[in-house]
Amino acid sequence: MRALDTKPYSGSVVAVGGLALAFLVVPVLFIVYYAFNASRYFALPPVPLTVHWFANFFDNERFQAALHASFEIAGLVTPLSLAVAVPSAIAIVRGSFRGRALLNTALLSPLMVPGVVTGIAFLGLFSQLNVASGFWRVTAALSCFTLPFAVRALVANLHGLDPALEEAARNLGASRWRAFLHVTLPQLRPGLLAGGIFVFVEAIDNFSISVFLTDVDTTTLPVEAYNYIRDFDDPTVAAMATLLIGLTVTLVFLVQRVTGLDKFLDLK
Amino acid sequence: MTGARQPDGRWLALPALLVLGLFFTAFGTFIALSLLHAVPGTASIAGPASLDNYRAVAGLALNREVTLDTLWLALQLTGICILVGYPLAYLMARTPSRTVRNLILFVLVVTFLSGGVTRAYSWLIILGNTGLVNSLIKKLGFAMVPLVHNRTGVVISLTHFLLPFFVLTLFGALKTVPAMLEEAARNLGASRLRSFLAVTLPLSVPGLIAASTLTYAVALSSFLFPALLGGGRNPMAANLIYMKILDAFDIPAAAAMATLFLVIALGCVGLFALVERLAQPRFPLARRHG
Repeated sequence: MRALDTKPYSGSVVAVGGLALAFLVVPVLFIVYYAFNASRYFALPPVPLTVHWFANFFDNERFQAALHASFEIAGLVTPLSLAVAVPSAIAIVRGSFRGRALLNTALLSPLMVPGVVTGIAFLGLFSQLNVASGFWRVTAALSCFTLPFAVRALVANLHGLDPALEEAARNLGASRWRAFLHVTLPQLRPGLLAGGIFVFVEAIDNFSISVFLTDVDTTTLPVEAYNYIRDFDDPTVAAMATLLIGLTVTLVFLVQRVTGLDKFLDLK
Repeated sequence: MTGARQPDGRWLALPALLVLGLFFTAFGTFIALSLLHAVPGTASIAGPASLDNYRAVAGLALNREVTLDTLWLALQLTGICILVGYPLAYLMARTPSRTVRNLILFVLVVTFLSGGVTRAYSWLIILGNTGLVNSLIKKLGFAMVPLVHNRTGVVISLTHFLLPFFVLTLFGALKTVPAMLEEAARNLGASRLRSFLAVTLPLSVPGLIAASTLTYAVALSSFLFPALLGGGRNPMAANLIYMKILDAFDIPAAAAMATLFLVIALGCVGLFALVERLAQPRFPLARRHG
């Protein structure tokens, strides 16, 4: 049904778009290559490949501690953030009270504040409250900070749902809670997945807030990697990055299979 | 439709209000701290409350220069993102092939999620003096070009960081501009460029401004990329604040700097939002004749 046999864009659009795409993908591919680079430094022509840097990453006690802390923090932050986001999103989309729009704007506001400012603000608050544990400081701050990601995903999901289904369940005698649990919640699965992945990845990846809140007992992977880069010059951080990229690619494939990437992006 | 007392759902907002409460308490404490001062040689903070920190922060020429420079650099980066990102978003919105669209989406999402430290580090190695780019340059027989520990490295790596934000947001907006309108213009004899300039571009202005606003806001708060690729010689505003904490451990002074910066940043983002509002009614999507 396309009207003309020509494409809707010219060759130069394809060229610039293709270059932009290459620009995006090269650093990601390069870091994976560099992680297997046998030499301590990058070299041309290519040197033999090795898994030495991965072994180095897993042998390094500080990286191991950071790996555990990062996954524990993300494992706490993700359900916490989603648990707050589900009722909030329902209140925003289905509620009928005044101030819903204001609530929506207020919930997005953490995204507008530079991470460094948020980090120092929480550092100040926790120092006044005498919260000395780096682990809990990072967990609490990231739970607040990641809330907008989860709320956006769930709001977009809820907008696409028909409230009549839940009403039908209510008319057939289901309690409000039962109707939610058996009718609405299953339909929120794509939003929970997309929001959950965003929150999880951000919790693993966050640097600018966490760097102020970690302490000698608890550092996270990005903070540890940052310190390592300053002190050493070898591809150990590239090995860490490769593992995280592998995790990301797996999660994105999962989204693609469950909801489709286009859906995922409608959340924007 | 339903029974007598229909709750309006306000209690559902309670958990969110608690989190927001914590968030705003943190900022309240923070602004309160900025009025106090650190007791030299100790970790404690004491009164009396005054605006001394603000006077000191605003009085320092370095702070003023870096702040202005940050605002300007963020604007340049937004411009670069428009030039590089618009064609990509357009290609993605208009390609007839689902595979191409999904490929672009996949690359954008993986890049977007693959981590700040990861990407900054990758650029550090690619652009470094013995890195990929300079190795190629040397092989071709040219002299080494310094690409890191200067502005070039910061701009290249930050463009990479910002591009997915920009393209993903603009794509959402471009999708809602019906391709039919362009085809109609083309059928009426307009060239491809003309139908783009006269139809698509004006219709995409609100989306373009929204994408630019987001990009500008994220660019302003850049911290990690200038820290790693600028080599300490190209600090942006967030880096100065960090140094205040790390070098001087002066939380009140850092809080004053951060508060001032937050006000300036929100003001600039607000300007973008104002432009967005002004641009909206001039290009109503509903006006389909032409």
